[in-house]
Amino acid sequence: MTDIAATKSPSPSLAEAPRIVKMHSFGIGERSTLAISVATGVALVALWWIVAWTGLVPHLFLPTPVEVVNAAISIYQDGYANASLWEHVGASLTRILTAAAIAVALGVPTGLLMGLSRWAKGVFDTPIEFYWPLPPLAYLPLMIIWLGIGETSKITLLTLAMFAPIALSAQAGVRSVSRERVNAALSLGATRFQLMREIVLPSALPEILTGIRIALGVGWGTLVAAELIAATRGIGYFIMSASQFLATDVVFVGIGIIAACAFAFTLTMRLAERWLVPWKGQS
Amino acid sequence: MLRVGKASVYFAARDGRPVHALDRVSLDIPDGGFVVALGTSGCGKSTLLNAMAGFLPLSSGSITLNGHPVEGPGAERGVVFQKDTLLPWKSVAENVALGLKFVGVGRAERRARALELLRLVGLEDFADAAPYELSGGMRQRVGIARALAPDPAILLMDEPFGALDSMTREQMQELLVAVWARTGKQIFFITHSIEEALFLGTQLIVMSPRPGRIVARYDLDFVKTFARDRDASAVKAAPAFSILREEIRAIVHRTEPIRSAAE
Repeated sequence: MTDIAATKSPSPSLAEAPRIVKMHSFGIGERSTLAISVATGVALVALWWIVAWTGLVPHLFLPTPVEVVNAAISIYQDGYANASLWEHVGASLTRILTAAAIAVALGVPTGLLMGLSRWAKGVFDTPIEFYWPLPPLAYLPLMIIWLGIGETSKITLLTLAMFAPIALSAQAGVRSVSRERVNAALSLGATRFQLMREIVLPSALPEILTGIRIALGVGWGTLVAAELIAATRGIGYFIMSASQFLATDVVFVGIGIIAACAFAFTLTMRLAERWLVPWKGQS
Repeated sequence: MLRVGKASVYFAARDGRPVHALDRVSLDIPDGGFVVALGTSGCGKSTLLNAMAGFLPLSSGSITLNGHPVEGPGAERGVVFQKDTLLPWKSVAENVALGLKFVGVGRAERRARALELLRLVGLEDFADAAPYELSGGMRQRVGIARALAPDPAILLMDEPFGALDSMTREQMQELLVAVWARTGKQIFFITHSIEEALFLGTQLIVMSPRPGRIVARYDLDFVKTFARDRDASAVKAAPAFSILREEIRAIVHRTEPIRSAAE
């Protein structure tokens, strides 16, 4: 007892504030990287500006930032290559969003089925594993021969490119559903359909959303490449026509638009994740 | 009444040889009975529970609930798992009401029934919380409320308090006795704590491994004393309690070395 009384007295409750400590962190820690990222962006633009201004690189190859902004303004006002800026952006967005909707509508149920049924996995594995590693541009000519030069061939190409990552991630999501969770639902009287809707689909949702993000990345790459080859509207076509006139500043504008669109998509997907799967990593 | 008749289970080991997990176990759980299965790990108690729940078919033997054979999982047998299996995307009340949703009970009635059950386990203030905001003990209380929601004939509990700290564990035991006394459900409860087994069961079975079988049975009344007097420390301090605890401890410890020496 005396020992306890003796160890009780000293305490650091004097006037000075205590030194707050915590475990040493590993990796990047928890502080925001936003400031560093913004500073890097500013530095890159400054570097670009200096290189262009001093004429280190010939003007034909590298326009100054001011010229790119001016080109963007004039394209915004007058359009480019027989269409307004919004018609180009709208054509591209329509293609990728239509394809994404079709790929999600087909890919998610296919993937869930592949995770649940031996037959579905056996049947779908072969074609998906065969075509998924192919670069979409390799079979674009076939699409054009079969489906024509119009929207159908491009949307089919994009759908094919986006279908596989979505289906495969949905399948992986089903595998991550814990046995106990399924048993719990069954012992509460769930039917097979209820099990699917209430347990399997929500459990697989984080993986499915990751799959959709990957699919959108693949989608942008495929879209622009397809538009470079065969289109009269769209951001890819926009860049292609600019490059034929050696209008480097316009090419820069096109690249900027693609980057902005892709960034907006990523942001939307992150918000969707926060809204749909707020429990991710919580349990 | 749940009746297990000469239930045997053989699994395939990794190399394909059969492993005898459960050897001709017979057991009756009467209405209002609280049967506790006690044993070291690998004695087949979880195997027995999985067979009762319908997750696992028997190699031979039978399991019937009120005369109807058990052929698969169903809402008339509620299960509480060792690891909580609450759905993180649903609120506490929605988790409790899950079984009611499966049978098509309307939203308002589900909610009312869930709140009633949460009151039973003392969590009515957490109805709209997310499961991951609760402590381990609270989650297991939600698990109990969820298992009770479809009004099952029997509750099957697979070491539900095994992952809890000892203080929370004692509170949970007392809560479970109160729930049992209120609802009059049959309960089959698995544990590897001798004290917990003695305190909770109206009947205690001691199981031993390789192959899993019942080596001793006791009829107990400590839980009835506690349900009446609400004095846990008096029950556990009674001489009869500690004598029985040492007797069972001897049985449990005897089964292990004898079996391993014989093999």
